[in-house]
Amino acid sequence: MELFDNLLMGLSTALELNNLGLCLIGVVIGTAIGVLPGIGPIPTIALLLPFTFGLTPAGSMIMLAGIFYGAQYGGSTTAILVNVPGETSSVVTCIDGHEMAKQGKAGTALAIAAIASFFAGTVATVIIAVLSVPLSVLALKFTAVEYFSLLVLGLIAAVVLAQGSVAKSLAMVLLGLLLGLIGIDVSSGAARMTFGVAELSDGIDFVPVAMGLFGLGEIIANLERPAERRVVSQSIRDLIPSRADLRAAFPAMVRGTLLGSVLGVLPGGGAALPPFSSYALEKKLAKDPSRFGKGAIEGVAGPEAANNAGAQTSFIPLLTLGIPANALMALMIGALMMQGIQPGPQIMTEQPKLVWGVIASMWVGNLMLLVINLPLVGLWVSMLKIPYRLLFPAIVLFCCIGTYGIANSLFNVWLMLGCAGIGYFFIKVGVEPAPLLLGLVLGPQLEENFRRAMLLSEGDFSVFLSRPISAVLLTVVAVLLLALLSPTILRTRKEALAE
Amino acid sequence: MTRSRIDWQDLLFGLFLVAVAAAALIATRHLVVGHAADMGPGYMPRVVSFGLLGFGLFFCARGARRAGPAIVPVQIRPLLAVLGAVGIFALTAERLGLAIASVVTVILAGFATREGRLRETVPFALLLSCAAAILFIKVLALPVPLWPR
Repeated sequence: MELFDNLLMGLSTALELNNLGLCLIGVVIGTAIGVLPGIGPIPTIALLLPFTFGLTPAGSMIMLAGIFYGAQYGGSTTAILVNVPGETSSVVTCIDGHEMAKQGKAGTALAIAAIASFFAGTVATVIIAVLSVPLSVLALKFTAVEYFSLLVLGLIAAVVLAQGSVAKSLAMVLLGLLLGLIGIDVSSGAARMTFGVAELSDGIDFVPVAMGLFGLGEIIANLERPAERRVVSQSIRDLIPSRADLRAAFPAMVRGTLLGSVLGVLPGGGAALPPFSSYALEKKLAKDPSRFGKGAIEGVAGPEAANNAGAQTSFIPLLTLGIPANALMALMIGALMMQGIQPGPQIMTEQPKLVWGVIASMWVGNLMLLVINLPLVGLWVSMLKIPYRLLFPAIVLFCCIGTYGIANSLFNVWLMLGCAGIGYFFIKVGVEPAPLLLGLVLGPQLEENFRRAMLLSEGDFSVFLSRPISAVLLTVVAVLLLALLSPTILRTRKEALAE
Repeated sequence: MTRSRIDWQDLLFGLFLVAVAAAALIATRHLVVGHAADMGPGYMPRVVSFGLLGFGLFFCARGARRAGPAIVPVQIRPLLAVLGAVGIFALTAERLGLAIASVVTVILAGFATREGRLRETVPFALLLSCAAAILFIKVLALPVPLWPR
């Protein structure tokens, strides 16, 4: 049983004492930023990246992954108790979760959310383990041609399935690609768009870009909205749900997990899309849909399971093929590259301990989260009492120090300043910054593989269609783009994302 | 949501893209472009820039012709305070050391909201500065001076 061997090898990595410690740090930080509205996992991970230099590759990935799925747990706490989503992925949990809290069932809602997340996390870990082997075998057949097509598919699909206008997102991908081209060209040694700045010759660092666009830009925009954060203080009891509650929630949990797992693997998936789809599905399947919005337990269990499953399975493309499914995974790729590991289809065969260690650590981390979140929920709630007026100057300061820390260069701080201004501009004109980050991280790989493919085929573009795997990948790209032109699909997409 | 006669969001984003594409084309004008089988360093920048230019012009045209949601007015206070805080950090960190730079950064950032009270922000800034010094200099060994040199 290769699967069990692999999982055992992973567990032995994940259970090493320092990796356990890093996993705990990751999920605690994740829960904290999940609970606090206004700070997402993307700036947090960007902020912590410079300090993972000293860690082993497995240790740093375990910690960063913990932040991501930990945030999904924490987000639901705020959604249920305050009716404000701690993370975008817990927007739907507000609907029925907060309604349950109003009816005095806050404890049950929190418990169901945590149990659903844990269940989903466990199943998703197994799914990752099962899918990884065949995918990595397929990946070994990849040459520069296939890899280029895969990168294109990843970028396009990430745009199509994510929020916001497709045309604008495509433009943002191109913008990211352009930024990724800055620096000394590897094959000719010519400086490209460095404008005589020495710090740019190694290429633009994505950490200041991510922190400026996602962290600071958002803070400025948040400050413009009138502050309204009231914490509902309510004694939380009944943290152990009744048997009837569990029976009502269980089918929703299973469906949410499956739906989330599938949507998570797709490029552009991750934690945002699955809960919406799951909520819609539960509402459709319910005998009495009118209960939804009035504290239906399925409306908490399904989406919570879905977002956690999606958060975890979105690691599959990264761990097997080396392509990121969303902006957060792009940061993970950056973390790997900082560790000197070239992400790509070979990652699984070359770094089995790393890949399986991260997979196994997810299950360990989910177990920790269950313990951290349920008995200690009071602690997290008290964190909500920190006013934003104190929180944001602290974030600004830590962003500055963190950005400086990547290369001890003040240039990066200035770069972050510029990106913060641009990020604010993007929010004002209603453009999502996530595709830019994807383009920036994937740009150099895209160019390298494109050039290599063209070199091999002597400039013949038909090579992308004459090789079967590449042709299939590009056909999917074409179908996705054509589908967008169809008015019905456009409308459904709009509804699905706007709900 | 109020609507305006032309879609300013599209128009401004389009203009931004056109400007970026133009800057990139000018910056890379001397690079060898080559051809598909033997690409020079200027090949990809040119392809991507033309793509951006296309998108930019498309958004400009679309924005000018259709109505769109009005842009929420810019508030100058948070914008200047947050950007200013980052700027002051960049100016002071290496010269005056992390301890002073942190205090100044936090206090300036605190001005971003009207709720901020100096009575509250100043002690908080001192506290954060200590925390940052311990965390980043002692624990994480960041090579930045703590005090003015």
